[in-house]
Amino acid sequence: MYAKNPLLSETLRTHHAEALKAIASPGDFFTGAERNEMVRVAREALDCQLCAQRRSSLSPYAAPSAAEGAHDGPGELDEVVVELIHRLRTDPGRITRAWFDAITQKISKQAYVEVVSVVACSVIVDTLHNAMGLGVPQLSPPRPGHPNKQYNEQAVEDGAWVPLLAVTPGPTETNQPQTWNITRALGLVPNALGLFFNTFRPHYALQDISLSLSQSQAEFVAARVSAINECFY
Amino acid sequence: MLLRASSQQENREVDLNSVTHEDLDSGVEHNEHLRALTEATIQNDWLRLGAIRRDAEAAMGNQMTVDALVVASAFNGITRVADATGIPLDESTEDRTTDMRESTGIARFDYEEKSARYANS
Repeated sequence: MYAKNPLLSETLRTHHAEALKAIASPGDFFTGAERNEMVRVAREALDCQLCAQRRSSLSPYAAPSAAEGAHDGPGELDEVVVELIHRLRTDPGRITRAWFDAITQKISKQAYVEVVSVVACSVIVDTLHNAMGLGVPQLSPPRPGHPNKQYNEQAVEDGAWVPLLAVTPGPTETNQPQTWNITRALGLVPNALGLFFNTFRPHYALQDISLSLSQSQAEFVAARVSAINECFY
Repeated sequence: MLLRASSQQENREVDLNSVTHEDLDSGVEHNEHLRALTEATIQNDWLRLGAIRRDAEAAMGNQMTVDALVVASAFNGITRVADATGIPLDESTEDRTTDMRESTGIARFDYEEKSARYANS
């Protein structure tokens, strides 16, 4: 981890340490060991030959499918979960509805949401560690226990591929959404939502950002990341 | 795009096309360093990032350099949440950004459009 790097806020360092502990704990659809394995697989995906072949293809779906060519590093997770992790880690900008539908024919949308949360959370932690020249952090020891299968039965279909957190409709007085869709995206599994945003929150704010960057500098960085990752939202 | 709103609040002219066009200056202070830090980080180019960081630290200071990495790493995660769940734009954003999405080229990232583009290839 970051030790006591004074350039990173204590809140951020604490939240990253908590994230690794939370990942290593049983989730709602996966054990702590399986969630740690997701992070390990996500790290390994960056050197995966099949993913490299897909990335260099005009269409990633014209390259060999997971059935035709295995991802590197077979492990303990189901191959559909491995495919989900590799695609999410290495080529998120070209994820399609058809691919999502194929994945969620084999695992539940709840399980899908949990994988997305764990991997996206680990991407934040690993990216910052690597960018600081520290290498990726060691994972916490997995905690025993079984998934409790809890999810939000009140989540609603509202134009996304997964059911979203239900919110009060309509904008605020300043014509902003009551709740931004991005904060609703993982709402099908509240613990997945919590894991991700507890990690994300110390990094950024929509206004009055508590960093040395101006808001427009932060937004330029954010927008540039979105463009590189071909993110529409 | 929040870049537009924040720049208006700061009375700063920004070129939104700079987000998708690497040769354009955004108009935000330290544009070049912020761009280089972000690109090397998101492309996992850790070797190149070392030199980029040193240049940025000399120009902007250590804290601002690290803070740029803090924001970039966060968005490297959250863009995956959006891409994996196909969430629609918020209504107010959709209404206000139609022209900008077309002019910057962001419209081609639309989830429905991407799904159709790659469906039969």
